[in-house]
Amino acid sequence: MSTSTAIRRDTATFRPGSRRQHEVTRLLPTPLLVIVIGVLAAIVLVPMLYIFLASINTDISVARGDFWPAEVTFENYTKIWTSVGLANGLMNSVLVAGSTAVVSAAVSVSTAYVLVRYQFRGRLTILRGLLALQSIPGTLMLLPVFVLFSSAATYLGVRVIGTQWGLFLTYLTFALPFSTWVMVTYLRGLPRELEEAARIDGASNLGVLFRIILPLSWPGIVVSGIFAFLLGWNDVLFASVMTRPESQTAAVALQVFGSSAEGGAIPFYGQMMASALVCAAPVVILYLIFQRYLVGGLTAGGVK
Amino acid sequence: MPINSREESLLEGGSVTVTPPRPAEPVTPTVENDEPGGTKGGQRRRRMSSEKNRPLWMLIPGGTLMVIIVVLPMLLGIYMATLNLDQYSLRRWVSAPFIGAENFVEALTGTPLIRAIWLSVSYSLVAMIITLPLGIAAAVATQNSFKGRGIVRSVFLIPYVLPAFVVATVWRTMFQPGGIIDNALQGIGIESGLWLNGPNSYWTLIIVQIWASWPFIYLLALSGLQAVDHEVHEASAIDGALWWNKLRYVVFPYLKGPLSLAFLIGMLHHINNFTLPFVLFGLPAPSDVEVLPLLTYVTSFQSFRFGLSAAMAFVSLVLVAIPLFVYLRAVKLDDAETPGVRK
Amino acid sequence: MKFASSKGLSAVVAVAALALTACSSGSGGSNSPAGAVDGAGKTLNVLVASNAAYPEQQKTWMTDIAGKFKEQTGAEVKFETFANANEELTRIQTSVVSGQGPDVYGLGTTFTPTAYSTKAFVTLGDGEWEKVGGKDRFNPAALGISGPDEDHQVGIPFVSRPFVMAYNKELLAAAGIDKPATTWDGLVEQAKKTTNASAGTYGLAVAYKDNFDPWKFIWAMSVQAGNPLVDGDTAKLDDPATKKAYETYFGWLTKEKVVSPDSVGWTNSQALAEFAAGKAAFFPMTSSGSVPTLNKSAVADKYDYALMPVAAPGETKPQDGKEVASILSGDNLVVADYSENKDLAYEYIKLITSKEEQLNYQKIFGDLPANAEALKELSSDPKLDAITVAAEKSQATPFTGAWGDFQLGLMNVVVQSVPELAGGSVPDSALAQRLKEGQDKVQSSLDRAAKG
Repeated sequence: MSTSTAIRRDTATFRPGSRRQHEVTRLLPTPLLVIVIGVLAAIVLVPMLYIFLASINTDISVARGDFWPAEVTFENYTKIWTSVGLANGLMNSVLVAGSTAVVSAAVSVSTAYVLVRYQFRGRLTILRGLLALQSIPGTLMLLPVFVLFSSAATYLGVRVIGTQWGLFLTYLTFALPFSTWVMVTYLRGLPRELEEAARIDGASNLGVLFRIILPLSWPGIVVSGIFAFLLGWNDVLFASVMTRPESQTAAVALQVFGSSAEGGAIPFYGQMMASALVCAAPVVILYLIFQRYLVGGLTAGGVK
Repeated sequence: MPINSREESLLEGGSVTVTPPRPAEPVTPTVENDEPGGTKGGQRRRRMSSEKNRPLWMLIPGGTLMVIIVVLPMLLGIYMATLNLDQYSLRRWVSAPFIGAENFVEALTGTPLIRAIWLSVSYSLVAMIITLPLGIAAAVATQNSFKGRGIVRSVFLIPYVLPAFVVATVWRTMFQPGGIIDNALQGIGIESGLWLNGPNSYWTLIIVQIWASWPFIYLLALSGLQAVDHEVHEASAIDGALWWNKLRYVVFPYLKGPLSLAFLIGMLHHINNFTLPFVLFGLPAPSDVEVLPLLTYVTSFQSFRFGLSAAMAFVSLVLVAIPLFVYLRAVKLDDAETPGVRK
Repeated sequence: MKFASSKGLSAVVAVAALALTACSSGSGGSNSPAGAVDGAGKTLNVLVASNAAYPEQQKTWMTDIAGKFKEQTGAEVKFETFANANEELTRIQTSVVSGQGPDVYGLGTTFTPTAYSTKAFVTLGDGEWEKVGGKDRFNPAALGISGPDEDHQVGIPFVSRPFVMAYNKELLAAAGIDKPATTWDGLVEQAKKTTNASAGTYGLAVAYKDNFDPWKFIWAMSVQAGNPLVDGDTAKLDDPATKKAYETYFGWLTKEKVVSPDSVGWTNSQALAEFAAGKAAFFPMTSSGSVPTLNKSAVADKYDYALMPVAAPGETKPQDGKEVASILSGDNLVVADYSENKDLAYEYIKLITSKEEQLNYQKIFGDLPANAEALKELSSDPKLDAITVAAEKSQATPFTGAWGDFQLGLMNVVVQSVPELAGGSVPDSALAQRLKEGQDKVQSSLDRAAKG
């Protein structure tokens, strides 16, 4: 196909990060850039430093509001693996959130493609409806969704509650409206000309989607995937009622640390902070890996 | 979106092989419509393909999920809102007494619902207005590559990745009387008073919300920036445009779409955020931060008025949705007939 | 879909198969001659609070119990945990609505009235009591919040966690106090003697911003003054005794200045940390749950527990001679009405409320046994003296489905008063106004309870 070869050839001319590209696309003067990054990094890192210090501090010292540890101990980082079964939780979280991200990205690309490129009755209603669905509070949905899933077990004999499937389906559905919208705004930005060229070459709808749209949409796909991933990663409300110990996600496992029993002992602040950092790590690392796909969709993809 | 003609012509001139995108193309009001097929907008552009060949089946997977897992339960939820559903009738909820609109009337007249909606919407709005520039600045600052950019980008993501209850616990500890924030403020001579009770608590909620959610804006802005064509950069570079003018007239128009969406979704996230106020302030919440999710939660799980709580959620859904749709029209986020135009 | 990992899929199949077996084998099990229930091939699901202070020990305990249960009945026990009240309530709510979920629930005592009002749990008749080992095996005081009356009980007492007062022996001795006071007025006097604000030491460690502590103080003082807040179908939050309780509670900070000014922002944890750092002489309204923290702290060998004051503020002796030293607090076990393994459930309850298991539980977690014999055996232990006495002298909160709203109403008065409290005084009119609002709310809730 001539179009796609053209794309590949052009890509070679403007590689992201090349010197010329760098100068031309510069957005901020260097001093300002340094200030912006410095300030924002400080905003993030000061509380993060507090979290880290708390994770190596004693619980009593944290409860008293001390910033610097009274004594340094790293044992919280070893304890969390046995006390709450963090490994199992992390595995479930990665499994559920990861598959949610992949499937939701795939479904939302194709849905958004249809919504952006084709005219049909009810199109605008769907677009708006998707946003309206976003505004439904989770607390309103929890009970009905549970009733629905549990009746699936009663009437269809399909056990959903307590398995990763229930969570996966729920997260996928809740992630879809937003993921689709991210893709809609992104796909709108793509010029039609390439697709038209491909069609003239005889490409089918699917062909256009896979060979033209998909390669150009990575930044949008990655972003919508990240959001879907984080939705599943951070949810507690649904996970707490729909999982059983063996299917529990990390966010639910962590809840234990947040609860201080009435009139009881001081919560394990140290373990809480340690496991929060441990749970954040995989996501940050995944992002480190995927963020290169965020670089210049059109520029890197090389439409021009 | 007003634009000076100089840039438009520049953009036109910059394209070589492909018709350039027109990020700032003025959108005429008539373009927006529900059935774009036979209107000006539709006629202006060639149809991509014949109507017969529309792959509408691609909507089926998402649509099915939506209907089963969102629409059906929502209808069920609305039905529950018309029942006198409490701990006494919960077990046989299907046969709970039907009381029609009573719950809705009570929600509006007998509970602090309206005030809670006001608090939720106003705090969300304030937080969003401050979050937007932060997110945009972060996206713009990490757009150009430099050594360590990957690390910086990942660091910026951290607040969004931490579990909400950890974020809230940390800030709660920092904000407590005699905590590090008080100490720091005293160091510069400010006696701040209580952060977690009384009027300040409203601002505490906003501050923590901003900290937790600006990466969301940042991510969407970042994805928007990727859509800026290289030649647009080239054009403004040739033109010698100042960085500020370049940002404002050339780059920002590209962000309008993603950021309008971010604004909308961000607002909804804030309005529905339960964990943050719950862990920060506990229950019952100080009246200055008795936001919507806390109110519906208390109604559901402390008073066990499930029907009333569903009615509250539904009323707030409607009340929040109306301005949202006004907003949708205003920013033309769902504007149908502008493909190829980045907004 | 990449999700179809064989692990997930096989889990689904396994669970479905399990559910089918459970259904086909019908409810209950045939009693074997030895009296034990034959539960071979069945699984009993048990929902309990996750023990935040002893997570690892709890896991060991669960494995241990599951092993014993399997030995006795042949059935598996599968434990599920909830981390907080929030999770507990959503789990119960969803299970009640859908009619499926755990067979046995471990509930906080104050939640038992609500559980009762859902009618989703088994009301225990003589036969059921017999199956769990007989009603007389339990500490009679612990049965106080099992149901509205003796014939309608749903909750089987599991453990007691009575409230006591921790005190710092060293600080008391330094102030020349030989033993903790038994009246609230006396406690304030002792607190004044032990307060040394310039050194950052205060008489009392109190958590005004805790989500639970404040209502317990108000309730305790109010009951001691003869007002248990509910009188039949009438709420009595507007009673002078209740107002007096609030004034006393706030007065520690505003008038007597025996608590740290920072305590307006403290939760129970911070108050405990303050006591653990040796900065407070008394830490009232705590339980055996504070043991693990205190034993690791700076006051490890300087602290002891005492009964909380039993005479209402302004009084010198308990009303009617009845000493109320604590709220009846702990865990109850309830069996779900929808359960298809009820006999197994009773067998499980019988096992964990037996004398040996109760003593073992106490040793690991510190909670007092609900089993009468086990409790008796412990009362000879001097370290547990105050706590076991408190268990006997505790009074249950009123048994009404509206109790959740009472707690909320009591708490709300404190929460909304905190800014004024920090400012130095809570105006009388504001307090009266808040009490009136609270009264109206709980009264309407009580009215609905009467109808339900």
